[in-house]
Amino acid sequence: MLNSFIFIVLPYTALALIIFVTPYRFFSNRLTWSAYSTQFLERKTLFWGINPWHYGIIPVLAAHVLGVVAPGPMKALLGNQNNLIVIESFGFALGLFAVFGCLVLLLRRVNTPILKRVTFASDWVVLYLLLAQALTGVYVASFMRWGSQWYLYTAVPYLWSLLTFNPQIEYMVDFPLVFKLHAAGAFLIVALLPFTKLVHLLYVPFDFLKDPPILYRWRSR
Amino acid sequence: MDVRAQLVMVFNLDKCIGCHTCSISCKNIWTDRKGAEYMWWNNVETKPGVGYPKKWENQDIFKGGWLRDGGKLKLRAMGKGPTLFNMFFQPNMPKLDDYYEPFDFDYSNLYKAPPGSDQPVAEAFSQVSGERIEKITGGPNWDDDLSGSQVYAVEDSNLEDRTLVADYGRMFMHYLPRICNHCLNPACVASCPSRAIYKRGEDGVVLVDQEVCKGWRFCTSACPYKKVYFNWQSGKAEKCIFCFPRTETGQCNACAHSCVGRIRHVGVLLYDADRVEEALLKPDDQLVAAHRDVILDPHDPEVREAARKNGVTDQWLEAAEKSPVYALVKEFAVALPLHPEFRTMPMAYYIPSLSPVISSGGDLYELSDHGTFPLLEKMRAPISFLASILSGGNQEIIAEILRKQIALRLFKRAGNLGQPIEESILKNAGLDEAGANRLYRLFTIAPYRERNVIPTQQREEQDSYQRKGASGYGILKKTRGPK
Ligand code: SF4
Ligand code: SF4
Repeated sequence: MLNSFIFIVLPYTALALIIFVTPYRFFSNRLTWSAYSTQFLERKTLFWGINPWHYGIIPVLAAHVLGVVAPGPMKALLGNQNNLIVIESFGFALGLFAVFGCLVLLLRRVNTPILKRVTFASDWVVLYLLLAQALTGVYVASFMRWGSQWYLYTAVPYLWSLLTFNPQIEYMVDFPLVFKLHAAGAFLIVALLPFTKLVHLLYVPFDFLKDPPILYRWRSR
Repeated sequence: MDVRAQLVMVFNLDKCIGCHTCSISCKNIWTDRKGAEYMWWNNVETKPGVGYPKKWENQDIFKGGWLRDGGKLKLRAMGKGPTLFNMFFQPNMPKLDDYYEPFDFDYSNLYKAPPGSDQPVAEAFSQVSGERIEKITGGPNWDDDLSGSQVYAVEDSNLEDRTLVADYGRMFMHYLPRICNHCLNPACVASCPSRAIYKRGEDGVVLVDQEVCKGWRFCTSACPYKKVYFNWQSGKAEKCIFCFPRTETGQCNACAHSCVGRIRHVGVLLYDADRVEEALLKPDDQLVAAHRDVILDPHDPEVREAARKNGVTDQWLEAAEKSPVYALVKEFAVALPLHPEFRTMPMAYYIPSLSPVISSGGDLYELSDHGTFPLLEKMRAPISFLASILSGGNQEIIAEILRKQIALRLFKRAGNLGQPIEESILKNAGLDEAGANRLYRLFTIAPYRERNVIPTQQREEQDSYQRKGASGYGILKKTRGPK
């Protein structure tokens, strides 16, 4: 029951939400589409939170995504035990870095009065959720060794089975609870993304990199 | 030649009385709302002073504007790559304290307070946190009229001799009203990773698209004038919009419209977009000349032809011919760009202040030798100070303009008193009688429509038939076309 909730209901709900709510928000009210930075009001603590968080979580997230889109090369890479050790240690360190950053960000929201007016329920939800997600990730990385290997042979095929609408939860059901929580957290984050400031993730600086510096808009052209 | 039109404002600093009416009318129309309390799209500073936000002119702190790098211009702060790596924490962004914590007063306490032996007071509270503020320590014009000059005015980076602010005999001040300059090479636009800021082709107004902005905050520091603000409520950047809803219909900007000193002129300039970059590569002290070079003569048939090809309408060309801005910036060359060395090619120009007319203390007897007005060399505001603000350090340009202003006053004074006018006075300053009279008119009695010549945006020209039948239905959005 719990398994089918976590591995079937949750992911498909998340998928539906991100596919339908994101464009709805984009077209109905883009005025709320912002990273909602609070650097303007408080910057000293922010520095120690926001940088570790982003620099920790982005490579880790990228590694997860890479495993899904290119499982073959990743398997080859991690098949070598030396590589595996190096990559896992890096991942673990980055994970700790992210946890540290997230904790700082959370405590900052608690302890800085000037942020009161710009902190909404969704900010708390996002912070707690991301912290929990980073913590379960670090737990898996430290106590279930070679997790990145299993990931490629279990979670990745399972994710593909989801995307091809033929969910094979057998891959996942026998894992320990933390692992399941980690998966559930991931789906939850995807589900909440279109409702929160996490929409700032959906941004590719493509135009910025290719455009000339000064941008003109002509009404007539 | 790529001829474009630009709406430009000229400020006659000689006439600004520092009343802040402009700031208030702007605030009332555009920024009297949550998240924008601290923003003053138009603000008025006392010079010498640190300004708003504090020390905005010091680019070592905020890293705004452009630098020359070989044969190219690059943003002072960082290139495109580093921009992407600094999105989480923008290292140069000014913080709330660099402006001030906006406050209001709790007036309800005046009638709600319980009876007691003290007068109830309206206590100050922060408009950001809502908490009570014991002691207000800053405001948008905290160093107005040189108040606290030992703390603020001494910090003015344009002052060569900082002891001056402590010396009543030599002290001087003038006001500096500022809006966004709607630059020809806007650093704010170039710094935006979302590409939310753009320059309008038709009139050159620089705007932030609120739908596209995601709050990455690079513009707030990239603008060397600190004229892009971060709205802490909406999480997006905002800036002066040159009152485009007003100027599009031929009305004057709110600040210029309400200006008590009538110091402002609004009008059209034609410029050659192809030559902007090349002009900005000149050394600092040649930048004013380079600015003037890029500005084209609206009477020149070749320029007019090229402008028409670019879609500049006849109405705009006519306005360009009548433009008071063209007269002041190019013909008489009395108006200067603010800090041209920031290399954004700002399109707001300033006529340097001649006042106070009193020269350095103790030489009043000398004054009479020169007919009431002091010699240029004896002016109280050091020329180096004005040059540092308005001409990239080129003192000769400032001297030229002050000479014109002095000559103009001597000329008009002589006229008023029915005295003979020494022709050489005007000639030495590069003026003739007709020119002097025109300049005098612009500086003093020119009425509203002469001080401001603002052509409308002729939207109706684009499809007048559709506009006639469908007005009110939003003709900018197209329905299915007719067969
Ligand atoms: S003054 Fe600043 S905000 Fe205005 S156009 Fe220039 S760079 Fe942009
Ligand atoms: S309203 Fe005019 S005179 Fe008054 S401060 Fe503003 S610019 Fe100066």
